[in-house]
Amino acid sequence: MTPLLETRRLTKRFPGVTALRDVAFDLRPGEIHAVCGENGAGKSTLIKLLAGIHPHGSYEGELLVDGRPAAFGSVRDAEAAGIAVITQEFALIEELSVAENLFLGRPPRRGFRIDWLELHRRAAALLAEFDLAVAPEAPVHTLGIGQKQLIEIMRATDKHSRVLVLDEPTAALPAHEVGILLDHLRRLRAQGTACIYISHKLDEVFALADRITVLRDGASVVTLDRAAATIPAVIRFMVGREITDMYPRRQDTGRVARESASDPDQRPEDRPLHPGATQAKPLLEVRALEVTRARGESALLRDVSFAVRPGEVLGFGGLMGAGRTELLMHLFGGWGVRTRGEVRLRGEPYADPTPRRSIERGLVLASEDRRRYGLVLDQSVGFNLSLSSLGRFTRPPGRIDGQAEHACNQRFFTSLGIKAPGQAARVGGLSGGNQQKVVLGKALMTGPAVVMLDEPTRGIDVGAKLEVYELINRLTADGCAVLLVSSELPELIGLSDRIIMLAAGRIGGEFERGEFTQEKLLAAAMGRAALEK
Amino acid sequence: MKPRVPLQNLAMPLALLGIAAFFALQESAFLGPRNLTQLIVEFSITGTLALGMFMILLTGQIDLSVGSGVGLIGGLAAVLVFHLGWPAPAALLTALAAAVVLWTLMGTLIVRQRIPSFIITLGGLLIFKGLFWLVIQNSTVPVARGDQENLYALLTTYYLPAGVGLGLAGVVAAALVVLAWRSRGARAGAGLPVRSVGREVAVQLATTAGIVGLVLVCNASRGVPLSLLVLSATAAGVYFLTQHTPFGRYLYAIGGNEEAAVLSGIAVNRVLVGAYVLMGVTVALTGFMTTAYSGASTTTVGDLMELDAIAACVIGGTALRGGRGSVAGVIFGALIMATLLNGMTLLAVSPEIKFVARGVVLTLAVWMDVKLGRK
Repeated sequence: MTPLLETRRLTKRFPGVTALRDVAFDLRPGEIHAVCGENGAGKSTLIKLLAGIHPHGSYEGELLVDGRPAAFGSVRDAEAAGIAVITQEFALIEELSVAENLFLGRPPRRGFRIDWLELHRRAAALLAEFDLAVAPEAPVHTLGIGQKQLIEIMRATDKHSRVLVLDEPTAALPAHEVGILLDHLRRLRAQGTACIYISHKLDEVFALADRITVLRDGASVVTLDRAAATIPAVIRFMVGREITDMYPRRQDTGRVARESASDPDQRPEDRPLHPGATQAKPLLEVRALEVTRARGESALLRDVSFAVRPGEVLGFGGLMGAGRTELLMHLFGGWGVRTRGEVRLRGEPYADPTPRRSIERGLVLASEDRRRYGLVLDQSVGFNLSLSSLGRFTRPPGRIDGQAEHACNQRFFTSLGIKAPGQAARVGGLSGGNQQKVVLGKALMTGPAVVMLDEPTRGIDVGAKLEVYELINRLTADGCAVLLVSSELPELIGLSDRIIMLAAGRIGGEFERGEFTQEKLLAAAMGRAALEK
Repeated sequence: MKPRVPLQNLAMPLALLGIAAFFALQESAFLGPRNLTQLIVEFSITGTLALGMFMILLTGQIDLSVGSGVGLIGGLAAVLVFHLGWPAPAALLTALAAAVVLWTLMGTLIVRQRIPSFIITLGGLLIFKGLFWLVIQNSTVPVARGDQENLYALLTTYYLPAGVGLGLAGVVAAALVVLAWRSRGARAGAGLPVRSVGREVAVQLATTAGIVGLVLVCNASRGVPLSLLVLSATAAGVYFLTQHTPFGRYLYAIGGNEEAAVLSGIAVNRVLVGAYVLMGVTVALTGFMTTAYSGASTTTVGDLMELDAIAACVIGGTALRGGRGSVAGVIFGALIMATLLNGMTLLAVSPEIKFVARGVVLTLAVWMDVKLGRK
């Protein structure tokens, strides 16, 4: 049987990163084929290739539709070939009605006019077919997330798409709507629509898919028949990576040194990282925290409790959308409304955080999105480094002591090893790793006690990563507490004293150093359902 | 801050020269001392307002209400002096206080209620215009009673005696040299690049020559106008604020990336209100000068001045989306705007054409901003 869709040796490179490497994948007519992998395994890139978002010519390898080579120059080409992609962000226009959204861009016409009667008749028929109890005239913004998702799927099927690509379709769905969605997908399969289903949630994958392909580090590792696969086996394929000797350990002297992983007696992650860290008083304590995005909405973080002491690195892992970034942003004062729980910073209650107050009290955050939240890109390195610490250089009557500022900037510039022509260089022109160092320098110049790092090594090269790791060790040696969020499990395992895995806004598991394994952590991140199987 | 683009650095002086040459060829009186002095007064008025606008634009906000505000505040002071017989200094201070209150209010509305500044200040434009006409009762209110001289009228009619003007120029030039020399020493001490000695001397000589030359031109007519001193003081103040204080740094940071500014611990709301308060102060200064220049408050005082101020900033390289610009650029932009308006008035260009010309200049300036901003 000719596959509906096939990729051969598909390779996609971005500057500095190979996102996909020799990926082989095929989709048979009428099957549901799940694609699994950790964050950053290459799933999104694969989808973007299939959808024509990364056009033909920007990648290597072959993409075949019905056995014939296809060259999608745009999303429109992919749609013409019958491939419809439904992403996590909906392409619906909130203010328009369900019917208008369903037939957006191709409404039935009568001469020059839109045939409203026909539009609503067809929409009602589609809605009935999908068993969705909404009026065609209802504005889309009145619908729930699950209903919007179905509208997207209906729109795709009505365009006679033969391949439906769903990217994490249940990430934001309440449990009872997940079942409805899965039923619809099974029904579409029975009608002959093939589906590529991308999900972290292995229980859903096993409930739905005919075959499962695992991606890891951009490569297709294996394709399994569902009947022959088990959840633990899939998790092993997803992880399947050895801990490298990337992670420098602090030695008793407090100096940073690289250790080799060839130590036969002891796995590096079994050794206590920061002895004595557990006795001191916690610098940051969080008890039963519950946070909503805005007043009156349902909680996105629930029952989160932890404490972190001087010299300790507390790692936070979890899948996309588990609430890691939200947790850090909330503690810092940049996101959400606290509906319950208590936070104590250096022993004092800290009920009403704002970034300004947090910085004053010694709590800093280096955000994951440094271009958006971290830097003023048009300005110089020096401007950005001292931006949070200007008060320190200000002399009466409010004048900045340029020399003192420059000297302090220079210290950080040198100690962080920022590679730039000088402080006056524009930050926007630096590489990702050097931009990240500027973000870290800005946070550290304020003299913090608790440092929160959200994906501090995302998108930076290996050398710069190592420097960030060494910096974390320097911080703990100086008695800072570090909260580290990372999507890379080896990094989390290599750097943390303790790891908390978040799953859907709750603590899915807490692990002490010595009990870290990627399998356990990933299982905790996927929540109880996967754990029990 | 660094100049934006070398091309623009050259293009603007050339444009100014071209404009001046055009007017001079059309009408020889353009370069006469009398007209030049008038030009300097008009430039002072436009420049002062543009400097206030500069700080607003730096944050990525805008203020469309300043034209009406100029009329209102100037009119208020004129009514206090002419109808109520207040001494001029008291009237000016009261009107200044009123401006500060109004702009604090607008700034607070913008940051607290998160209403776009475009809308709030558009509302301000209409409200202030209405209040202005109410205050002056749609009539003409002179800035002084009879032939009495007062501080209000003197704002644009007082000229420094030639000797004082030259002395002041000498003091300012010397002060600039000393400041430059000290900053040079500090930079060298910190291991920073400095201009070569020859270049430094050349720059200082050019600055001194410029200042003294300006004074000589003024002295050829009636002397250095008081309003030029107002502009100079405002420019020095704004320069100090934007380049040497945390407040100024924050203006650039907010305009460059507001989210990053918030997360860097900057009290963004307070800084924005501060920028509007300072805008209010420059509106008052401009209101006094421009009303005094017309001799009386009439319903058309301040008309469209917000657009001249914005155009001056943008011509001078201030980015409309915020985060970029310099005081020197704004001063330059104001000089170009003032020259254009003055020349057209001198050539007795009809008001219809003047409107069109102003519109074209504003559009060109913004078009250039967009083009350069994309790079």
